[in-house]
Amino acid sequence: MKIKGNYTLSTTPEIFWQMVMDPDVLEKVTPGIKELKALSPDNYEALSEVKVGPVRGNFKGNLSIKDKVEQEGCTLVIDQKSKMGNVIAEIVMTLAPEGEGQTKVEYTGEAKMSGTLASMGQRIMSGVVSTLSKQFFKSMEAEIAARKA
Amino acid sequence: MGNFIGKAVKRREDARFLKGAGTYTDDIKLPKMTQSAFVRSPYAHAKILSIDITEAEKADGVVAIFTGKDPCGDYGVPCGWQVDFKNGETMREPKHPLLAKDKVKHLGEAVAIVIAETLEQARDAAELVEVDYEELPAVTNPLKAMEKDAPLVHDEWEDNAAFDWCIGNDRAEVEAALEKAHHVTVMEYRNQRLAPNAMEPRSYIADYDVNGDRYTLYTSTQNPHLIRLLLCAFALGIPEHKVRIVSRDVGGGFGSKIYHYTEEALLTWASKEIGRPVKWTSDRSEAFLTDAHGRDHVVKSKMGFDKDGKIVAHLTDEYCGMGAYLSTFAPAVPTYLHGTLFQGVYTTPLIHLNVTAPFTHTVPVDAYRGAGRPEATYLLERIISKGAQEMGMDPVEIRLKNFIPPFDGVEQEGYQTQVALQYDSGNYERALKKALDKLGYEDFRKEQKKAREEGRLLGVGISTYIEGCGIAPSAVVGALGARAGLYEVGQVRVQPTGKVSVFTGSHSHGQGHETVFAQFVADKLGIDMADVEIEHGDTDQVAFGMGTYGSRSLSVGGSAIIKSIDKILEKGAKIAAHKLEAAEDDLEYANGKWTVKGTEKSVSFGDVALTAYVPHNYPEGLEPGLDFSSFYDPGNFTYPFGTHIAVVEVDKDTGKVELQRFVAVDDVGNIMNPMIVDGQIHGGVAQGVGQALLEEVVYDEGGQMITGSYMDYAMPRADDLPMIETDNTVTPCPHNPLGVKGAGEAGAIGSTPAVVNAVVDALAHLGVTDIQMPLKPQTVWKAMQN
Repeated sequence: MKIKGNYTLSTTPEIFWQMVMDPDVLEKVTPGIKELKALSPDNYEALSEVKVGPVRGNFKGNLSIKDKVEQEGCTLVIDQKSKMGNVIAEIVMTLAPEGEGQTKVEYTGEAKMSGTLASMGQRIMSGVVSTLSKQFFKSMEAEIAARKA
Repeated sequence: MGNFIGKAVKRREDARFLKGAGTYTDDIKLPKMTQSAFVRSPYAHAKILSIDITEAEKADGVVAIFTGKDPCGDYGVPCGWQVDFKNGETMREPKHPLLAKDKVKHLGEAVAIVIAETLEQARDAAELVEVDYEELPAVTNPLKAMEKDAPLVHDEWEDNAAFDWCIGNDRAEVEAALEKAHHVTVMEYRNQRLAPNAMEPRSYIADYDVNGDRYTLYTSTQNPHLIRLLLCAFALGIPEHKVRIVSRDVGGGFGSKIYHYTEEALLTWASKEIGRPVKWTSDRSEAFLTDAHGRDHVVKSKMGFDKDGKIVAHLTDEYCGMGAYLSTFAPAVPTYLHGTLFQGVYTTPLIHLNVTAPFTHTVPVDAYRGAGRPEATYLLERIISKGAQEMGMDPVEIRLKNFIPPFDGVEQEGYQTQVALQYDSGNYERALKKALDKLGYEDFRKEQKKAREEGRLLGVGISTYIEGCGIAPSAVVGALGARAGLYEVGQVRVQPTGKVSVFTGSHSHGQGHETVFAQFVADKLGIDMADVEIEHGDTDQVAFGMGTYGSRSLSVGGSAIIKSIDKILEKGAKIAAHKLEAAEDDLEYANGKWTVKGTEKSVSFGDVALTAYVPHNYPEGLEPGLDFSSFYDPGNFTYPFGTHIAVVEVDKDTGKVELQRFVAVDDVGNIMNPMIVDGQIHGGVAQGVGQALLEEVVYDEGGQMITGSYMDYAMPRADDLPMIETDNTVTPCPHNPLGVKGAGEAGAIGSTPAVVNAVVDALAHLGVTDIQMPLKPQTVWKAMQN
């Protein structure tokens, strides 16, 4: 399944980069994340609970960040397991300054699913991913607003 | 003739089914019964690195958890048919374990069973079982499975072939004839994978009784005795007389409930381990993943014609996917149930079929409504129509040129094909002409011409199918690789009061045995239908049987009952003669009584029955009782045939196909109950149309199923179908006592190519000669654009 989208955040690439690289922030803004444990720099063990429509389940697995270019982008590697099936994804995220102190985030990637997620979920998964992405950026925006205040 | 044969008697069983009063396996609740849930592989191919049940074992209500490490039988479930390689190498038959041990080989393969007090508890605990896999590359397409570097399904062999096989004339001779042919039509396509989708999912309850050391397995199977045999002699190695199989009300099978499934054996084993009954009922998602699928043939075919459109030769190569293991009948489906139908209804002088049957990382494939015959019919009926189209002939004309002339199997001998079989009786032209009349073929062609001028896309498709039912005799099928006989058992027990209990080894899962069998039994005995009860589906009650598949119930199962009725009447005549103080030869039997010819002196069936059980004044030396059991092993298959015609309109903007008319003229031999025959045809046509237009199981490259629910797997619905216009011709089967041929699969066999032929016909003027099934709007639209 292809993943693609963009979002413009009201902060600079510099601040956004700092936030994204901070596990505490990530734990806070990523939808469904219950626990994010650093195993090594840029490599985390993640526990999450996803509830979007009929897709519900507890996911567990690795989340790592590679190909980092400061303030410009990185690749997110997701390897999550659940009783509904597993998800393996690589998402390339690029940042670019936009307008007055804003950042345009573009992300593109491919997710491979297995089990029930694949057999039942393919049709609805892109909707689920889009919903989760929106939630992520909205929470990020709230966090940015909180920091500004 | 009596009062019931040939009448549209309403189905007696429907009273309970329509009221929701049937007793399916899932309706059965035994004291102390536990429930179970399976942990299944999310991968098509993976190493099992570890299975951790620690957390799951602690969960509420858990009774036991078993994995492949537990001693649940070494061998697993066996295959029931052996087809060896052409070079003599034995068929490669992998062990099919009840629970995967080191590796999983298809998506949904069971790795553990969790047994708990309630279903919810079993399912919750199953989620806590931690399985660590190492995913491996998979192959799902039968053609790709035979490529050089394809991932192996079973490491013990050097490639993925389970066997290869051929039938017909010498290949070189067929190739030479094709070289010289006036025209050669080529077809390459995939006969797509289908999911059977019985309305009732598979369901089992195993109940071990420690006191008698006896097992009872309640199962939604189509053939209880065969399951007992395979379970006892192979899967678990337990004594057959200690096992009872019960399968009373079963909600549809279409083949998918013939086979001995791993869950049946595992539950039986587990019930003894825990000393309590265990139930498992598949949910719909599990059914998609684990019920044996149908079809999955990759086909390359050539048919050669002379300048008049006479077929001169036919050569086909096929790759037929077996799935990860060999299911019970799987090797027979693309071979003896398929290649033997390659003559069709045509006089083709030279035929050669070569089959390669590879393993793939998918759920096993096996017989599904028609089993090999729909695949053969699809090929023949498409390629002959394509040939006609390419040569500028009418599809009716080319068929009439090639038909085998009529033969009744009595005055004229049966027709010997190039592919082993001898047809029993047939009149193919009569069925075609009747169907054309019913449709109004000439008028339709005029209408079609006019429609084209208006820019509308109308098409007509013809299919003149033949199929083989009631597969037999045992000696022949044994020579072809069957590991069982294919006779049937019928017991007729006349009770002292003259009421009749009939026990059949065939099995009803929607076919209406309780009605049809009672109709002919009542007529043959000259009694009322209400006095006849049909019993099936319990190995403790029925002596033996081979179940129901391949439209065999009436032709084979019915004939076994007729044999027993003959014995009843023969013995009854002796008792009647004694009572009437007359010679047996002077008696005649009609309307339920023996009469001394030319007199009023008679004795009723009921009186004779009572005398048999109260033998105070009785023929000397004759055994009391009136109860006979017979085994009937038929002399040949039966060969139903007919013509199906579809009329479609294709939307020129969207490619959507609307099936406007469907005419089915089927010759199923003598008809016991026309309403039930019609019903069987209707259901079969719906399934055949489903394959043509809608249905397809899709595995992606990695072996994930992306059509695992009704959101993605399109079943035909009522509004996809017009009212099906049925009719019959009657060419009796010459070799069984009822003259019947079988009607269970004809609809699914004849209809698919009729629909595809119609769609191609609608688009013929655009240069379209073939489209791949299923004919989804986007597929048809694309074909129109090229």
